[in-house]
Amino acid sequence: MDGPDEIIHQPIRLRVMAALTALDPGEDGLDFTRLKGLTGATDGNLGAHLDHLARAGYVEVSKAFVARRPRTTVKASPQGRAAFARHVAFLKAIIAGM
Amino acid sequence: MTIGSDEAAAMLADVDSVVAKVKQSRIYRSAALIIMLWGAINLARDGLIALAPGWFGPRWFLVDAIGIAGTIAILSRGATAGARPPMRTLAAFLLFYAFGWIWADLIGDFSPRQQMAFWPTLFLFGYAVAGLWFGPAFTAIGLGLTALIVATYFWSGAAFPLCMAVVTGGGFILCGLWMRRA
Repeated sequence: MDGPDEIIHQPIRLRVMAALTALDPGEDGLDFTRLKGLTGATDGNLGAHLDHLARAGYVEVSKAFVARRPRTTVKASPQGRAAFARHVAFLKAIIAGM
Repeated sequence: MTIGSDEAAAMLADVDSVVAKVKQSRIYRSAALIIMLWGAINLARDGLIALAPGWFGPRWFLVDAIGIAGTIAILSRGATAGARPPMRTLAAFLLFYAFGWIWADLIGDFSPRQQMAFWPTLFLFGYAVAGLWFGPAFTAIGLGLTALIVATYFWSGAAFPLCMAVVTGGGFILCGLWMRRA
C-alpha cells in the first residue's frame, strides 16, 4: 500500500483536488471564486495552497481577463489526478483495515 | 504520518461532499441556460397572446416548439462528441404535452385563462419533482413560480395575459440567473 500523499493530505488541498478531479479532464477547470466557496478557504489561504499544489505539478493555474476582470482558473493536471486517486485509494485501504 | 480509520473516513466523507457539490453545480449551470431560454419563450408567447389573443391564443404551441428545439440544441451542444441526440428529453416533452392535452382539452375543456395558467404549472410540477433527485433549487423554482401563477390567475383581472408574460417570462429568467450562481 502506498503511503499518504503529504501534499494532498492537508484538508484544504484535499478539497481542492476533490473538486478539480470531479470535472472531466477535457473541461476548463474551476475559477478561484468557485473553489473558494467549495473549500471554505479565504483568498490568501486558498492562493497559498494553490501555489503549493502548482509547485508539485498537481494543478495548472491560468490567469486571464474576462470582461475586463481578472479571472484565475485552476485545473487538475494528469499527475495531480493520479496522485489524488492514489491518496483516495490509500484512505480507503485504511478503512478496509489493510 | 499515521492516519486512523476515523480520520480516513472523515476525509473521504469530505471528498464525497465536495464532489457532490461540484456535480450539482454542473447540473444547475446547464439547467440554468434552459430555464432562461424558457423564460424568453414564455415572455414571447404570453406577450403575443396579450397583444393578439385571437391569433396567438390557439397557436401558442408554435412558440413552444421553438423552445423545444432550443432545449434540444442546448443539450446536444453540451453532450460529448458522437453522443446520440437527447431523445429522452424529446419524449419527456411529448409526454407532458400529451398529458396536458388530455386534461386541458379532452376532459377539462379549459377556458383560455385556465389554459394559460395550467400549462406552465404542469411543467413546473415536473421541476418540483425533479428537485428531489437533482437539487432543491429545482423544487424551489417549481413551487415558487406555481404559487406566483396561481396568485396571478386569481388576482390579475383583465391584465392576466400580460401579468403571465411578466411572471412566467421574468420569473424563469430570474430563476435561471439565480440557479447559475447557486
